[in-house]
Amino acid sequence: MAQPATTSPKPVARTEVKDAIDHLRSSAQELHKAISDAAAKRSGATKADIAALTEKAKTVAQSAKASIKAEHGKVAKQLTDAVSHLEATQANLSQSAKATGTAFDTAVKKVLAEARASVQKISEAVAEKRSAAAGNTK
Amino acid sequence: MRNFVAIVFDDSRKAYEGLHALWQLDDGADITVHGTGVIHRDQLGHIQVDTKDTHPALGTALGVGIGALLGALAGPAGAAVGAAGGAGIGAATGGAVGLMTDLDRADTREEAADETGFVLGAGQSAVIADVSEDWTTPIDRAMQKLGGKIYRRARSDIRDDSWFSPEYPYGYYLYPYEYIPPTYPL
Repeated sequence: MAQPATTSPKPVARTEVKDAIDHLRSSAQELHKAISDAAAKRSGATKADIAALTEKAKTVAQSAKASIKAEHGKVAKQLTDAVSHLEATQANLSQSAKATGTAFDTAVKKVLAEARASVQKISEAVAEKRSAAAGNTK
Repeated sequence: MRNFVAIVFDDSRKAYEGLHALWQLDDGADITVHGTGVIHRDQLGHIQVDTKDTHPALGTALGVGIGALLGALAGPAGAAVGAAGGAGIGAATGGAVGLMTDLDRADTREEAADETGFVLGAGQSAVIADVSEDWTTPIDRAMQKLGGKIYRRARSDIRDDSWFSPEYPYGYYLYPYEYIPPTYPL
């Protein structure tokens, strides 16, 4: 059951500098937003829309792969998971380009679910890094 | 710590100010916001989830998911009714039935707040969020400044609910970025 808020102890100051993962998250958020907007068009989403989204997903996946090399532990694992979801996003976008009717609807749902999952994993990596940064300055 | 947070405001405009403040806290790295959504309860008791104009199937999923999350915030009994009700109702009023069941009691019974935790009264709005926070003060200060009442439930507690899906957990139904409908310019 949810409870009214209580005060928790104050942690020490943390770095406020945005790093590559913050920017990666912004890109993944934009990808999700673009897919969601394209889905609103339903069958009006054109092959050009889908091709552009596929390219965007590929670019974000490449950025995520590059970020993994600079990370360790949980953060690296979360980014690896994000790459898997971004690759699944690309694959399902390809499926949606070929599909019509119910199959198109199903493919679009899968695309959006995978894109959402990728943002979540990157967001969790961001949280992990921020928490670690706060702990490191103690 | 990973928490689901519900912040109740007296009107929708304040709720969107609260939503904006939440993402500002994320921008300043005070917290990390994984997803957010805004809901309203009208004078007739119906609850609506603010969604983008999107594919109907996606809208329904959003309603069901947020409905289940609301139920989880309201406690185990609310979760069961919330998820079942949401599936039948769809996006517009998604899942709020379970919550309404408890809320209706909350209107007439003083102790209902203790039983259900999160309470959304008629005419009120709420921001629902999935956040990581090392301490609760940033959200508490920002939201109390706007007149919001804050409720939290640890994600680890909700994971124990039978409606929690490890493949597509509650939080995935929330917007992973700040979405403010054009009708609520800040």
